[in-house]
Amino acid sequence: MSVIKVPEADVSGWKCAACGEELVSMPVELEYLESLFTVELPACPACRFVLIPEELALGKMHQVEQLLEDK
Amino acid sequence: MNRATESVCPVCLSRIPARHETVGGDTFLVKVCPDHGAFRAVVWRGDPGFREWSRPKIPSRPGTPFTKVEQGCPFDCGLCEAHRQHSCTAVMEVTWRCDLGCPVCFASSGVDAPPDPSPEEFGMLLDRVVEASGYCNIQLSGGEPTMRDDLPGLVRQAKSRGFGFVQLNTNGIRIGREGGYASALADAGLDSVFLQFDGTRDGIYKALRGRPLLERKLAAIRALAEAGIGIVLVPTVVPGINDDDLGAIIRFAAENSPAVRGVHFQPVSYFGRYPEPPADAQRITLPEIMNLLEEQSGGVMRASHFQPPGCEHSHCSCHANYVVIEDGGLTRLAGNGGCGCKPRPASEGADRAKAFVKRQWAASGPDLPMAGSGDDLDRFINRASSHMLAVSAMAFQDCWTLDLERLKGCCIHSVAPDGRLIPFCAYNLTSQRGETVYRGKCDGPVRA
Repeated sequence: MSVIKVPEADVSGWKCAACGEELVSMPVELEYLESLFTVELPACPACRFVLIPEELALGKMHQVEQLLEDK
Repeated sequence: MNRATESVCPVCLSRIPARHETVGGDTFLVKVCPDHGAFRAVVWRGDPGFREWSRPKIPSRPGTPFTKVEQGCPFDCGLCEAHRQHSCTAVMEVTWRCDLGCPVCFASSGVDAPPDPSPEEFGMLLDRVVEASGYCNIQLSGGEPTMRDDLPGLVRQAKSRGFGFVQLNTNGIRIGREGGYASALADAGLDSVFLQFDGTRDGIYKALRGRPLLERKLAAIRALAEAGIGIVLVPTVVPGINDDDLGAIIRFAAENSPAVRGVHFQPVSYFGRYPEPPADAQRITLPEIMNLLEEQSGGVMRASHFQPPGCEHSHCSCHANYVVIEDGGLTRLAGNGGCGCKPRPASEGADRAKAFVKRQWAASGPDLPMAGSGDDLDRFINRASSHMLAVSAMAFQDCWTLDLERLKGCCIHSVAPDGRLIPFCAYNLTSQRGETVYRGKCDGPVRA
């Protein structure tokens, strides 16, 4: 699957608290119940800590989670 | 490896000790009746192994048990206070008439059928389901329910009383034949059809149902798709008859996605009168179905994709979910979170199964217009929500294979005419001579 870009993942104004680096957009692998999604998300270029914006977590990621919920 | 349990004697139906004996990769239920001798029937062949196929549950007792423990399992069903699982599905037989006389039938339908329950009696039985199990999923069964001209009225009655998911178990003959019938059922609120669909060749229907029915099945599928009723294909799998057609059934289901929502295989079980016990060669078990699906799908499906159930007893079923992608191929959608080895409350599994079935086995909503808007994640969400195909298999138990541990965890409950809820395999249990424990012996009236 190609890299998924989501408009919610806006990097501007975010800085890594631990490293002090400006976050940059980079492809991040999200795994849920053995399904893998590569999504471009803000992350710290130094420690690779990823920011998942609240809108994404409560929006599309929640929808994917519901789709993958099983019996 | 031996696992002790209890079963019944196939001849006299007395409760007797039993054990599971695994030899090589095959597991047998072995039991001895003091009066009628030893019995041995295969219940599991091959990998994944019988012992590993486990998803333990903490028993959830019925909220309102209708019967006390007096004679012990399986003779106190109602549900009794010792039952270990809530109802996921209440099966309601609305007629015992049938327009087919199949050699394989749980209900021995069609011969000297008693009168159909009246709409009032049906309503009283719905009240009993609410009292016992709340608003669980409802399956209207029979007999062949479409023999009743007032079937849409029964669907409407169940929906208007608040049951969120109503499914019809049918051979599809009337639905395919009678213009406007599927839409009448849809207008009444029917969510889903459990369509008897044994294969993609007419020879299979001739062998199992006594006549060629493929064209009629295709007509039913067209009518249901047009009416917006979710379709689950339900093949009864019989060794030597249609066990070579499982991959073709999946391909057919994928071609007919999203109208077809799932395929639910039922390995043949033996109810009714059998002068001789069925030979092991006449049985097919869950791991064999998983492995045949892997072989016959060219490896697109894998036996390892399948998971044990969170609702019914582990050894009763398996399931895996796929998305039908644009070119008609399948992509596996999900596994279960975690190892499934930590016991969870049974009722939690029942609630999840009810919600999954309600969502997946009903028709998908209209596709959202995506052209020009949305990203890849949106497109994935859109495709997966409309084109998921749920593949499952459920092994029913007959008098040779009955494991009372499994029966105690059953979540598919037949609603007897007298208002008792009876685990499906107990309700349909017959001795080798065809004698029943419950069917025909709890004919009502509804007991309050």
